[in-house]
Amino acid sequence: MSDHIQVTDLTVRYGDQTILNDINVSISHGSWTCLVGPNGAGKTTFLKSLLGMTPYSGSIEDKGKEVFKNHQRNVAFVPQNPQIPQGMSVAEYVMLGRSKKDGWGNESAKSRSFIHDVLVQTHLYGMQGNLVSHLSGGEMQRALIARALAQEPELILLDEPTSALDLHHQIAVLNNIELLKERGVTIISTMHDITLAAMYATQIVVMHQGKVLLSGLAADVIHSPELKNAFDNRISVYTLESGRPVIVASKDEVL
Amino acid sequence: MITQEKSIARIWNWRITASAAFVLLIVAIFAVSLGPINIDFIEVFKTLFHLPGHATGQNQTVILQLRLPRVILGVLVGAALATSGAVYQTVFHNPLADPYLLGAASGAGLGATLALISTHGNSYALLPIFSFIGGVLAVLTSFFISGKFFAEPNTLLLSGIAVGSFATAIQTYLQQRHSAVLRPVYSWILGDLTSASWSVVAWSSVYIAIALFILFSVSKQLDGLMLSDEEAFSLGINPNRLRIMAVGAATLATATAVSASGLIGFVGIVVPHLVRGITRRVTNRSLITIALTGAAFLVLADLGARTLLSPAELPIGVITAFVGAPFFLFVLRNRRKAGS
Repeated sequence: MSDHIQVTDLTVRYGDQTILNDINVSISHGSWTCLVGPNGAGKTTFLKSLLGMTPYSGSIEDKGKEVFKNHQRNVAFVPQNPQIPQGMSVAEYVMLGRSKKDGWGNESAKSRSFIHDVLVQTHLYGMQGNLVSHLSGGEMQRALIARALAQEPELILLDEPTSALDLHHQIAVLNNIELLKERGVTIISTMHDITLAAMYATQIVVMHQGKVLLSGLAADVIHSPELKNAFDNRISVYTLESGRPVIVASKDEVL
Repeated sequence: MITQEKSIARIWNWRITASAAFVLLIVAIFAVSLGPINIDFIEVFKTLFHLPGHATGQNQTVILQLRLPRVILGVLVGAALATSGAVYQTVFHNPLADPYLLGAASGAGLGATLALISTHGNSYALLPIFSFIGGVLAVLTSFFISGKFFAEPNTLLLSGIAVGSFATAIQTYLQQRHSAVLRPVYSWILGDLTSASWSVVAWSSVYIAIALFILFSVSKQLDGLMLSDEEAFSLGINPNRLRIMAVGAATLATATAVSASGLIGFVGIVVPHLVRGITRRVTNRSLITIALTGAAFLVLADLGARTLLSPAELPIGVITAFVGAPFFLFVLRNRRKAGS
């Protein structure tokens, strides 16, 4: 049994359109892997393939088992655009993450106490009676993270977890996710902000037009020329005095 | 020991379900005691539970052979329609979905018309069988036409509407050609519980019990269908299998209800929203409460149907809409106020 998610010759097609083209990459458990690349690179499709919902050719093996339609795994998924259920309270929404653990019956006392802690941790405590349809973008994002935390997953897949958030909440959410990593949870997220990706990720996978251009340790990837290639050389990488890399779009290099 | 401060409140409160059950019991006893012959409430209670001092002779016949089967059929049909409505609303993400959405009503109507034509309008024995088959066939056709079962729920919804229109067109054509059946078909479409007898109760209770058992047991998973399929999948739900199971069971309950009592409108839409509005709980774990409330609502409506213009009977569909619509609007208005 390998402790990796092994992606081999992964290809995903919708009709005659090839979304993911022959991807080979290995993701180690217990790490945080960021998928970066321009819009349309296939990041979200890759994430959904890892979830096991999207039909693919090739193979994705998680601990030696194919992931497609595998209901045995405990994988949390945080979508970029969630379907917001009308009339459901925050407590009910977050508790959905525990339902399978509670055998789809009434929630156990243990789960209710767990959800309490999760709500406190995600700064949603006190709002548990509010309707999810009335939450702000940032609160909704935290509710999604809370539901994922409630699952106590082995693997958490996040699609642009920070895109709806202001700077302060971006850091708050990412710190929450980092806590999970410290507990041994494997994290795979797409992230359009490469500077943030470099701050948090162990491993970065650079995608471009359905292919993986480069994957490796975050520090190595950030300073490699392939990263610039993926963005058609329209980004610049600077290093702060602290050693932290900052990646910005280059204004003067427009074609 | 977990203290209150370190835990959140129970999401579902059993007291709400118990209250609904209590209301249903009172309404049922009330419905058995009222009619052209009014029987004392206490006497009815004693007869139902076979306590000393129970009714004898004519009163006993009225209670046990006429009113009780009718009330129980009302309970079954009300529970079936309300639960199916709630389930369809969740599965199709559509608050206006009702149990007749996928062509069950039109198919059953066509079946009923065929039954009445083939027996020249004077035999009702075939009607339940034909309408049941018609309803189930129409839903299966909708599924079949929409192709890959739930690849796109809206496609199923649209094909249900198309199949329904098609069945209604044939039904209308047949009625024009056989005008003798117009009146019986029309009265059947408005729905009634006059056909209630222990034998009708016996066969319909089997199907409705099976369907409701399935729906109640997956009720919490149905909440997952309120999310996107990817989210549902990650929570451990197989969305397509769950939808097929839920729609299948809801269709069985609806077809049975329709064949036993005709088309009783409004219960499937109003009751789920009423319960959700009053309890402020949207999730499907309130399905049992919705079923109990639907049962009480229909028994009450039937009581109105047979007593308001006594000895004449009003169609029950008229009562459900007449009482249901304003009450529904009241709840909607209140909910909007509370929600804003």
